[in-house]
Amino acid sequence: MENILELKNIVKSFDDKKIHQGLTFTLKHGETIGLLGRSGTGKSVLLRSIIGLEQIDSGEILFHEQRLDLLTEQQLYPVRTRISYSFQNAALFDSISVFENLAYPLFEHTNLAEAEVEKRVMEALQMVDLTESRDLMPSDLSGGMQKRIGMARAMILNPEILLFDEPTAGLDPVNIEMVIETIEKFKAQGISGILVTHDISTAKRVCDRILILNEGKIGFTGTVDEFEGSDDPFVKSFLL
Amino acid sequence: MIGHFKENMTVLGEITILSKDFLKCMFTRPFYWGRLYEQILQLGVGSLSITIVIGVVTGLVMTLQFGYGLAKFGGTLYVPAIVSLSLMRELAPIFTSLLIAGRIGSGISAEIGAMNVTQQIDAIRALGTNPIRVLVVPRVLATVISLPLLTTLSAFMGILGGLSIAYSEFSMPAGFYINKVLSSVGLTDVFGSMFKCAFFGFIIAIVACYRGFQTKEGTKGVGQATTWVVVTTSIVILISDFFLSKLLILLFD
Ligand SMILES: Nc1ncnc2c1ncn2[C@@H]1O[C@H](COP(=O)(O)OP(=O)(O)OP(=O)(O)O)[C@@H](O)[C@H]1O
Ligand SMILES: [Mg+2]
Repeated sequence: MENILELKNIVKSFDDKKIHQGLTFTLKHGETIGLLGRSGTGKSVLLRSIIGLEQIDSGEILFHEQRLDLLTEQQLYPVRTRISYSFQNAALFDSISVFENLAYPLFEHTNLAEAEVEKRVMEALQMVDLTESRDLMPSDLSGGMQKRIGMARAMILNPEILLFDEPTAGLDPVNIEMVIETIEKFKAQGISGILVTHDISTAKRVCDRILILNEGKIGFTGTVDEFEGSDDPFVKSFLL
Repeated sequence: MIGHFKENMTVLGEITILSKDFLKCMFTRPFYWGRLYEQILQLGVGSLSITIVIGVVTGLVMTLQFGYGLAKFGGTLYVPAIVSLSLMRELAPIFTSLLIAGRIGSGISAEIGAMNVTQQIDAIRALGTNPIRVLVVPRVLATVISLPLLTTLSAFMGILGGLSIAYSEFSMPAGFYINKVLSSVGLTDVFGSMFKCAFFGFIIAIVACYRGFQTKEGTKGVGQATTWVVVTTSIVILISDFFLSKLLILLFD
């Protein structure tokens, strides 16, 4: 399988606070990587850096051999329709309805007629099983529902890579199951993904490979089986 | 002291950059007519009633004061000219702009600030769109368009308010009052005042947007941002008014 995304020696710090100190890994086409790590190890910062919401200090980010880290904000806009980020806190636009939240990227980046936009939005809502909330405002939704709408918004432009930031955190088992099913649907469509999570059972179900961040470096990388079979006490601490 | 100066220079530099980006986005596609219209309704039309009240009350009080003040020197006849000129040139622009700085400036910075701390600005970027195009351009343009119109309306209402006092308190015939106003307030006064207000509107909205984008520390940050915007823009308006008035007098008087 070809590499769709390649990170080389990523270094990132905020002022004098070191976050990443040389991260290297690749995401293959159609693959889903589970990114684990304790709170504050910089998982969100890594996802945000990939689409250029944060600037890395040094290193290379290659998307289909294109250096994303060298692009300007303007040049990154089209890239962000192909790699999309589902925010840890959903980050829905709270002054417009669920429908308008989902229609926003379509109106911005396509010339679809209204009927077609409507159809696409309803399909996306169906994917996350929330068709009945199309006319609600984000504040009327529960946290779990907001997350699923956020995921629907992230996938509506049919991106090539989806970056999920803790999609199951704080959800009840039924909602977690729905999120997992949604991610499985993306996978079935051949979309690659990076899934940041603290939820090992979700990671085991949907990921092909597991990567653990530790103190700014990659502490472990391997398949789900290797992850589960590891004797390393550090890796084992995540399995508990 | 020097650190403070440096900080202020940084802010000025960043606002200049934002203004440049604003201009770039304004003259390139896509342009959001719908969002501009929405903002004009919200910012401009929403400020109508309060501007009218300010205008009328200022006109009433000015006419009253000048009427009795000048009566001592037999100068009641000059009241229409003094009231209408000072309203059109200074009082309406300054009062309306300060009011709008409080109402619109704080509103814009609170709204953008809240969007920033809840990562909605990041979401705009992550969806491949430019927050300046989406948020700043409609708000700045709406303010630049609305403020001069509101000011002109306010001055007009003030002159009418003056008429009612001149007529009722000083028995001045309405025809005389209107004639005096028309012969003293010229088109250059109206356009000069609109020009000043367009500039004030730009300052209010761009500074408010800037501070909104800078907001970081949650709810407290949003509160601090709004206060800062109202104070800063009010001071800038008052100081720049002096220089703009001087410029207009040099050009037209
Ligand atoms: N804009 C910023 N400025 C300064 N520090 C930041 C900024 N964003 C993140 N950090 C810091 O970077 C570190 C990593 O943050 P990040 O959000 O990536 O953690 P995380 O691994 O996603 O944690 P969690 O599992 O709790 O979401 C944290 O210590 C955080 O305080
Ligand atoms: Mg995080």
